[in-house]
Amino acid sequence: MPTDIENPSNSIVARKPGTVPGEGPEKGLITLPGESDREIEDLAGATYLTTKVDTMVNWARGNSLWPLPFGTACCAIEFMSLVSSHYDLARIGAEVVRFSPRQADLMIVAGTIVDKMAPVLKKIYDQMPEPKYVVAMGACATSGGFYRMYHVVQGIDEIIPVDIWVPGCPPTPEGLMYGILKLKEKIERGELKRGV
Amino acid sequence: MDVTRVSPGVVKVTGARMSVLDRLIIPQVVAGMLVTIRHLVKNLFNLEKLPTISYPEVKRVYSERFRGRHILTAREDGTTRCVACYMCSTACPAECITIEAGEDERTREKFPVRYDIDLLRCVFCGYCVDACPEDAIYMTRDYEMAIDTRARSVVGLRDLVVPPNFPVAPMGWRPYYGAMEKKGTAGGTGLGQPLRSAPFEDDAPPNPDLFRGNE
Amino acid sequence: MSTLTKYSAVPYTGPAPTNREPYVPTDAAAIDARGAELAAALSVEQETGQDLPTLLVPRENIVAVLTALKSAGYTMPLDLFAVDYPRREQRFDVVYQLYSLAKNERVRLKVRVGEDEPLPTGTGVFKGLNWYEREIFDMFGIVVDGHPNLRRILCHEAFQGHALRKDYDPAQRWLLTEKDVAKIIPKIDPRFENVDTDFERVTLNLGPSHPATHGTLRIVVTLDGETIIGCDQEIGYLHRCFEKSCETHTYQQAIPFTDRLNYCSAFINNVGYCMAVEKLLGIEVPKRAQHIRLILSEFMRIADHLVCIGTNLVDMGALTNFWYLFQPREEIYGLIEACCGARLLPSYCRIGGLAVDAPPDFLEKSQRLVDWLPKFINDVEKLVDKNQIFLDRVVGIAPITPELAIEYGFTGPCLRACGVPYDVRKASPYLGYETYDFDVPIADGGDTFARYLVRMEEMRQSLKILQQAIDRGMPEGAVIVDNPYVALPPKSKVYNEMESLIYHFKLIMHGIQPPVGEAYFQVEGGNGELGFYVVSDGTKNPYRVRCRPPCFQIYSAFPDMIIGQTIPDAIAALGSLNIIAGELDH
Repeated sequence: MPTDIENPSNSIVARKPGTVPGEGPEKGLITLPGESDREIEDLAGATYLTTKVDTMVNWARGNSLWPLPFGTACCAIEFMSLVSSHYDLARIGAEVVRFSPRQADLMIVAGTIVDKMAPVLKKIYDQMPEPKYVVAMGACATSGGFYRMYHVVQGIDEIIPVDIWVPGCPPTPEGLMYGILKLKEKIERGELKRGV
Repeated sequence: MDVTRVSPGVVKVTGARMSVLDRLIIPQVVAGMLVTIRHLVKNLFNLEKLPTISYPEVKRVYSERFRGRHILTAREDGTTRCVACYMCSTACPAECITIEAGEDERTREKFPVRYDIDLLRCVFCGYCVDACPEDAIYMTRDYEMAIDTRARSVVGLRDLVVPPNFPVAPMGWRPYYGAMEKKGTAGGTGLGQPLRSAPFEDDAPPNPDLFRGNE
Repeated sequence: MSTLTKYSAVPYTGPAPTNREPYVPTDAAAIDARGAELAAALSVEQETGQDLPTLLVPRENIVAVLTALKSAGYTMPLDLFAVDYPRREQRFDVVYQLYSLAKNERVRLKVRVGEDEPLPTGTGVFKGLNWYEREIFDMFGIVVDGHPNLRRILCHEAFQGHALRKDYDPAQRWLLTEKDVAKIIPKIDPRFENVDTDFERVTLNLGPSHPATHGTLRIVVTLDGETIIGCDQEIGYLHRCFEKSCETHTYQQAIPFTDRLNYCSAFINNVGYCMAVEKLLGIEVPKRAQHIRLILSEFMRIADHLVCIGTNLVDMGALTNFWYLFQPREEIYGLIEACCGARLLPSYCRIGGLAVDAPPDFLEKSQRLVDWLPKFINDVEKLVDKNQIFLDRVVGIAPITPELAIEYGFTGPCLRACGVPYDVRKASPYLGYETYDFDVPIADGGDTFARYLVRMEEMRQSLKILQQAIDRGMPEGAVIVDNPYVALPPKSKVYNEMESLIYHFKLIMHGIQPPVGEAYFQVEGGNGELGFYVVSDGTKNPYRVRCRPPCFQIYSAFPDMIIGQTIPDAIAALGSLNIIAGELDH
């Protein structure tokens, strides 16, 4: 039974079909001062060849993210919906869901991290090889959510560096995919150069 | 599986009886593959009916009750309907709404000087919309809120307030569904308090000796 | 606030504020009589005015009373928790709840324990009290004498203090570092202790970050070759302080917290909590709201079983079923989203009814879903039911006998898979379940295959209930009770009438204030009996909310189920138990 889909949707801000998230009209809605136009960072001193290699490498990295779903709670169920047939994360290259940190490069922390789980999270993050990216999914992972309590970590950026925060409780699968596409865009633009 | 009745209201379920052929594994594997191949062929020839929604090119339309990002509405004269009554921040289980109230000099009405929603704390329960007595806060169908710097996690008045006569139809979770008649200034009718020519010019502050409420 | 002043022109004739009188259960006389009988038989005192027969047992006699009740037929230990009354001499009230399957009766025991007084353990009588006693030690600091393994269960090892005591600051956190984490060495099961082999014994840690442990479960096993000879578990990796959160928030604000307990079937938790508070308030929810609650509860039960079977099969390598079973789940989400705006965690119930009326096409959408769902269940059945590979992996794996299951306090599909037909919807019906014609499926053996069979048949029975509910049509009327001390008035009144605006302000600022008392209400969750015990002191915040998680005792029996088998068997069994960490760790 297909769900109702329409193109384009009646969301609050009209979106041109095919625009990359972050570049559409909502760019002006929440903008920091001085951030009107973004440019590719100038790789000072690099030659034509290395910049082209860099662009290709970044493009490859962005299109072949291997997620490690560090799912603890309800957001993990929405992540499962994302990899299921309705939304299908495999369409953007993240087919290979690996539970071993040594084989993954994108850690999606989906769910509440509590103080008991915090050393485990840090250990898993440390075991991931560079370049690695972290998406904090949901209210609990980004900020502790409404659990301002004695056992809950108030946001995983207390422990590990986070690249994309996705609000929502739980975020809809499209919301999470928007976040991952934003990350992909950042990787391809070269903003997340790690190590290499 | 086989289902047999044991007593009124109770049935017993047992596994299906396996024939000799079934125990040889291969025939059942083939039968299973027929199920999957049937799905494959059906999908191959019916690509429009695939359940996959090709986000971001195609977006799903959520219902009129979807609990997405919030907005604050404005009256026809441009002032926000919000009167900084603190109902929403009291009702919020996540304590993610921070309000600072101020007095509007021209109309002596309360309005929010600061209204921040911490989107990372918010659990999108809709209690703020239920609690608002002024028809001020709505939730939209916007779910694309991912951010890459923490500085953008708190949305303030600049990001929340929408222009007057903003269309309500494409919004999500709202205080009431359908039409409603609103009388007086409560509930966000089009007009705020009338403008005064100058503050405190023609009315004196109340005299406490005249109050007879406790007799 | 008095609504009648000497200046009122129109005398007020509406309902009275809710916390003027103490809570009196509707059938108080019958319960008190039954309690008196039991108290006389066991020569203990009785506490009157409760919603279950309650006995006050002195600390020294608790084991004797438990043994006597067990031999009198109360064989299932349902719950054990404590409530803190710091101003009392003996500050803790330890509450037991036992259930008799034969007589369908519950009894509540209360033991007063002071701060430094130890409590004798009940694990000799009921095995299911094992983890509960660790929990009251962790949360309240009540030392249990004679417990085999008294250490913290939910909070981490470096935690100081006892979290649910009234003098514990809710936001006080403690740091756990790598070196504080305790090394767990499981005790070897007595059956295997003296087996002389050439293999070295290996301790293996599974989880908490593991694809098959569904998030946050940790199992440490001692292996002899490939056989598991000792097993220990660690939980608490998702302890989100639900009970303390309820004490710091109002009754209404606790509803989103209840959603996150069993997040696969979140609506059922909402219903359970709201009905417990409605029992305390003594209000009856309108028929329309009950009907919608029933329909959505059954859809959520189906959704829960879909996840359980899907992930269980994925753990065994059968990925296709996962896709097939998640697709109807998406459509159920579509239905819930059309009702209340959120897919997974609805927060749709309010105390007194529902937040908002269902959309006009609710029944048509439900009918379409009910017609369309069996296709997917049948597909999975065709793939798996007669498949010898699957059967080899599940038949005879992790069995449990009915006697042991009852002693552990199993409820739900795991108990029904042992052959015991206990279902809360039949035993203590609510929401009108007694008027529906459905069957409770049971299976034999208590193994993984039996649990799979029971869940599949339960989904079909839920579809049967849904079809009947849709055929009856929706009763007309409001979806929330008309009491302004309980439910927010509709916006058409709030925007236009002064009185409704005042009630609205009072409800938001002062909250619902139920009568002073305590109430327990149980619903059939996806995993078994989900009970909520609410203690009210007449203020806007609950004094204590206790959630009885069905999978807590089921998971505590896991070592008994897998000792003697191999690791793949343990993984297959773990998936079939449907351990939802949100509920397990509350």
